[in-house]
Amino acid sequence: MLGYAIKRLGLAVAIVSLAMFLLFCMIYLVPGDPASVALGPRATDEMKEALRLRMGLDQPIWVQFWNFFSGAWTGNLGQEVLSGRPVLNVVMEQLPYTLALIAGGISWSVALGIPLGCWAAINRGSLADRLVGILSVAVIAVPSFVIAIYALLVFAVTLQWLPAIGAGEPGDLGDQLIHLILPSLAVGLGWVGYIARMVRASMLEVLEASHIRTARAFGLPERMITYRYALTIAILPTITLLGVGIGQMLSSAVFAEIVFARPGIGKLVYDAILTRNFPLVSGAVLVTTVIFVLLNLVADLIVGALDPRVRSSL
Amino acid sequence: MTVLSITDLNVTFQTEARAFHALKNVAFDVPQKSIVGIVGESGSGKSTLINAILGLLADNARIDSGSILFEGQELTRLDKAAMRDLRGPRISAVFQDPMGALNPVLSVGEQMRNIQYRDGRSAAEKDARSVEMLDAVRIPDARLALGRFPHEFSGGMKQRIAIAMALMMRPGLLIADEPTTALDATLEVVTLDLLKDLQAQIGCSVLFISHHLGVIAELCDEVAVMFSGEVVERGSTQAVFETPQHDYTRRLLECDPANQRARTRRLPTMQDAPGSFVPVPATPPPERPADAIPLLRVRAAEVTYRTGPMFRRRSILGVSGVSFDLHAGETLGLVGESGSGKSTLARATARLEAISGGSIAFQGAPIHGRGAAEMKRLRRDISMMFQDPIGSLSPRMKVGDLVAEPFRIHRVADVDLAAETTRLLSLVGLGPEFADRFPHQLSGGQARRVGVARAIALDPKLIIADEPTAGLDVSIQGEVLNLLNDLRERLGLAMIFITHNLNVVRHVADRIAVMYQGRFVEVGAADEIFRAPQHDYTKTLLSANLAGPGRPA
Amino acid sequence: MSEAASSPPVSPAATSDPWRALRRLLREPLGVFGLALVTVVMLSAVFASVLTQYDPTQISPRDRFLPPSGAHLLGTDQLGRDLFSRVLHGGQVALYVALVSTAVSLVIGIVLGLIAGYGPRWLDNLMILLFDTMKSFPTVMLALALVTIMGPSLTAVMVVVVLVNVPGYARIIRTQTIAIKTSEFVTAAQSMGASNARILAVHIVPNVIGPLVILASMDIPVVIAIEAGMSFLGLGVRPPTPSWGSILNDGFTQIRDTPWIAIAGGLPIIITTLGFTFLGETLRDVFDPRLKGRS
Repeated sequence: MLGYAIKRLGLAVAIVSLAMFLLFCMIYLVPGDPASVALGPRATDEMKEALRLRMGLDQPIWVQFWNFFSGAWTGNLGQEVLSGRPVLNVVMEQLPYTLALIAGGISWSVALGIPLGCWAAINRGSLADRLVGILSVAVIAVPSFVIAIYALLVFAVTLQWLPAIGAGEPGDLGDQLIHLILPSLAVGLGWVGYIARMVRASMLEVLEASHIRTARAFGLPERMITYRYALTIAILPTITLLGVGIGQMLSSAVFAEIVFARPGIGKLVYDAILTRNFPLVSGAVLVTTVIFVLLNLVADLIVGALDPRVRSSL
Repeated sequence: MTVLSITDLNVTFQTEARAFHALKNVAFDVPQKSIVGIVGESGSGKSTLINAILGLLADNARIDSGSILFEGQELTRLDKAAMRDLRGPRISAVFQDPMGALNPVLSVGEQMRNIQYRDGRSAAEKDARSVEMLDAVRIPDARLALGRFPHEFSGGMKQRIAIAMALMMRPGLLIADEPTTALDATLEVVTLDLLKDLQAQIGCSVLFISHHLGVIAELCDEVAVMFSGEVVERGSTQAVFETPQHDYTRRLLECDPANQRARTRRLPTMQDAPGSFVPVPATPPPERPADAIPLLRVRAAEVTYRTGPMFRRRSILGVSGVSFDLHAGETLGLVGESGSGKSTLARATARLEAISGGSIAFQGAPIHGRGAAEMKRLRRDISMMFQDPIGSLSPRMKVGDLVAEPFRIHRVADVDLAAETTRLLSLVGLGPEFADRFPHQLSGGQARRVGVARAIALDPKLIIADEPTAGLDVSIQGEVLNLLNDLRERLGLAMIFITHNLNVVRHVADRIAVMYQGRFVEVGAADEIFRAPQHDYTKTLLSANLAGPGRPA
Repeated sequence: MSEAASSPPVSPAATSDPWRALRRLLREPLGVFGLALVTVVMLSAVFASVLTQYDPTQISPRDRFLPPSGAHLLGTDQLGRDLFSRVLHGGQVALYVALVSTAVSLVIGIVLGLIAGYGPRWLDNLMILLFDTMKSFPTVMLALALVTIMGPSLTAVMVVVVLVNVPGYARIIRTQTIAIKTSEFVTAAQSMGASNARILAVHIVPNVIGPLVILASMDIPVVIAIEAGMSFLGLGVRPPTPSWGSILNDGFTQIRDTPWIAIAGGLPIIITTLGFTFLGETLRDVFDPRLKGRS
């Protein structure tokens, strides 16, 4: 297990390093002069020169890369162009809002998806099964920002059941949770579908396995077979899927934050692009990538801990 | 006193297109404390019968009529809950696949505790009972085994644990569905002995399903022979095997290569009228001058593998220090259990695998280290047949294209491909209409014939056949072996025949090499090896070789 | 009882007979429904200029914010442009992006996947690392980073789609190639002396390409979502050009007073994604049931 964890961690470090490299290439090498891009067309030559010095753009490329790379690993993502504050601080201020949104999305998808998938698998071929199947596909298909806007229109604007904008009063947990309902549903609804499908498919596969037949031949009660013998196996691919899904939820979160005017990383990057706040964009992209890789790692380690086969073979 | 009595049982499967009558008027009894065998080839309805008794028939299956009387209860009329209460304490089962028989994510201890869920005892008492059962099936360190997971045990151990679980509640009837088919011969014997001991100890009856006549003869008191959903013959094992009444039984017995004591170059098949078969003595390989260069000369061949996790990678010797000669027209049988290195050696001989030491020479010239053009030339002379008859055919190509593939690969331009394909197909007993079929539309035996046709397409000098009859029913196995023997004689081919089945190899091979842990432990004339084995491992293998009925093992 | 009859890693499924598959598709209500939706969307995009007499970019200040009516089926937006016409013409943009970028992703994905699966081990490891890295940028972040460099454009959208799709496609092809590479029928071909080129072309590609094309067709809704999403954020098509995403954005800013603009932008997205998904799901079940449950 320890060897497995180390190996996975090594892979995560490699992925983050490569991501930094790609980000560096993208932002520093492709567009020509980042200083003019950052400052816009109306900047004077002196302003550009000053910014170039400050960003270290006068140095050879490999020095620039090394500065970027070593800085990034130690948490130094540079300074924001306008206020001069460290990028990391700005990003970290917004991070909790986005994480709360994603946690909400995961909660919806797990709380609804697993029981629905399980129920559909047990009642395979029934009308309920077909209905769950069609609904799952439908919520997967429709993009999250369309769901967000329609949800806003129906529940906040027309029915006025739930608040439309903001993240709620700071310090008031209840208010914050109420503000979280619609955005997290928009983020998680598609994943309810994904997880229901996945659980159903892997449940059906596991229920066909010969050890389930053996368990039946020993007369074990159907409930024990379903939940203890089958679901414990069927849940494993779902956890891996969720790990990957967090990347998509991060994407949906950007839209949800914009639609519901919530603070968060997505809103931050979006505004940064509009104001050409360059280091902030790359810093925030890097932080989300790291989070995504980390959560993926966590998902894999959970699977490793739950599945004795993985635990000992790796 | 009978434990199980089945009369006039009829079961139908309703598929989308049609109804399929899977069991037709099946009737037999299982007396108390006896072992009853059920014999039948694939598709005979054995599995449906088991599921009907266990109350585990699929949703689209229906019991039309008949009765299953178990310990005085009519099972066909029991509801699901009552049936479940019988399973475990009264009827239990062990199935074929030892790898998948146990739940992979639950510990052995938990699985054994769960089986005792009806008993109101404490977990510690249940564990004690589990340990008792594991001891009974000779699992070492039974108490520690409770905390382990199934993948930590070997296939044979897993099957023994499954038996322990099945007998845990001391059932009146154990259904054993090919429980040893997937095990190597030596393990098979151990497992069968154990099963017999436990049956006597617990005093239950066993319904033993197998396609292996030798196992049935060894183990069962009574036997029922099934053919396409019917029980065609039943009676005491001795009576059925010695004086079979039904045509099917007689042919089945004749077809078992184990029942042909003398080496014969033609085995009986289902097409032969029962009783009409006359053994044909094998022709000895052609005389050759003493100084002839062997077709294949293998000297101290060694194949190394690197496996294991990233930081603990180690080298494993797959084959080590193997030497032999093979002359034109001669057949070498390569025998050994799974993992003994047979297939690795075969792959190295065809240069599908690199050797890490020694040499392999074909017609006097080493095969490793050849250039691409020379290598391609060699591929015409050596052709290979693989284990899985259907899986070794490219799934999206038609039979005609598959058979013609060697001509295309080697750009043989001066032949009429269509005519050549038809000729090759007829050579292996397939009509020209097969050319338009896809591999998944073929039966195992037909696919095997296509494989043979392809292997002989370019007149090779050596055929390497890796388990060419594994997984085929006995009747089809005979046909394929006859075909190979015919072609070999007509075309003067040399052959390396790899198998784990000793009864098969003696009818095919002139010489036999016994492989164990990557080495040849014994090489000799086929009859010699059977008559007077020298090496200990060969002796074990032979004593584990359950011979056919009517012949002392 | 067959110990050797392991199933081949490729399905022998009904791909050999497309007409039978089509007939089976037409027996599935969901598939017919999906096909109908897709047909409607396709036709209305192709014949957009026949179906409406309004120019999608024609500004008429007098007609601002008109609710749906006989003259303007879906109403008008803040510049007085006819929304029905904008929706139809927006469909052209969406379908163009979807088809072109999916085709490009498929070609690149197949080539890279074959290289990774059939090439040397170190190259495979390197490419897998690259694919995993590409996949660990959340789509939106990738789009945002890219647009900062390239500027918003239709090309930027297509580059994002290709970058998002290719790693997944290449991985699928790689996995399948590796599974098939060690299967007996490929070993058999090697033992007959077939060259690597022949093995790839005759034995591997035909067996890996079918499932991927089906999976890619099921990704079309994702591509449409990416285009609409980027246009919604102002990162896709440039303003006067109609796009469902930009209509949605126009409507979103006015959602309290004129909700029909947002509805007009969202409906075609819902109809198209649902149509392609239902069609794709049914096609997959009909052609290759083994892919079921794969995401």
